[in-house]
Amino acid sequence: MKWKVAFFTIPEYVQEQDWLRFQHKKGWKLTDTVSPCFYKFEKCESEDVVYQLDYNQEGLSHKEEYVQMFGDCGWEHITDMMGYSYFRKPLLLMQEEEEIFSDDASKLDMAERVFKGRIIPLLIIFFLLIIPQLLILEGKLQLSNFESLLFGIYIGLFAVYVSVFVKYTLQYVKLKKKIGE
Amino acid sequence: MDAHIKKVYVPMTETGFYILLCLQEEMHGYSIVQKVETMTEGAIRLSPGTMYGSLSKMEKDGLISFIREEEKRKIYKITELGREVLELEMFRIERLHRNLQEYKYGKCEVESSILYDTGICAGAGLA
Repeated sequence: MKWKVAFFTIPEYVQEQDWLRFQHKKGWKLTDTVSPCFYKFEKCESEDVVYQLDYNQEGLSHKEEYVQMFGDCGWEHITDMMGYSYFRKPLLLMQEEEEIFSDDASKLDMAERVFKGRIIPLLIIFFLLIIPQLLILEGKLQLSNFESLLFGIYIGLFAVYVSVFVKYTLQYVKLKKKIGE
Repeated sequence: MDAHIKKVYVPMTETGFYILLCLQEEMHGYSIVQKVETMTEGAIRLSPGTMYGSLSKMEKDGLISFIREEEKRKIYKITELGREVLELEMFRIERLHRNLQEYKYGKCEVESSILYDTGICAGAGLA
């Protein structure tokens, strides 16, 4: 058993899936997660197993039926973290490589659920806390040590938030273009 | 039917169409997956994330309704509104098909083959 720390921002679930698949190939299978970025692995046979993340709050509130539907289709539910549900299915059980979404329209639906559940709260924090705080601190002539530290933290947060928004938007636009809307 | 429903569902995705088509009978999600796979000779294998998302969206929009639960599986059936949407789609796809046939074989022959197929005019194909 081992724990790993890995940081994936909200729109990076595809990278997260690939990383988990890579771990399984190396003989470590995911058994649990702890918010926001801790992953528990157990030693296992090396195998090519497809990992997939869904974001579905309605599914989480009707978890039995939700997990049952995936189970019927051969996808094992492993854990949930920050609204994301983690599923896996061995490549051997597939005729060709499968995903939990079989069309682009439902991938776009998921991206929209992520927007409502995860991006909107960030936008609120961004515009109601980070931006006003930066403006207030920036308007002061002299900053105490504590205020300088605070200013640095808010600048850092500003950069992280902006990068999340940009990444999310690029990914969304790409998907939307693919569908041709 | 309000504008929102029309905008979202006409035209609809292949997934959406097959779900409505199947739900003319009471069914749960996984049995729809299996039925569609059989109907399309394995060409369309609906995935669970797509299925779960589509069913909850359609239920919220009133196209299908939840009937009961059986062994942790939700059983749904199409509603009156769902039927209207399905009919619009069928009409659209039939028109598409008709135009495709005309494009491929020319107008007259298609008409005579329809007559031939339906048995209205058995000799039409020879004419």
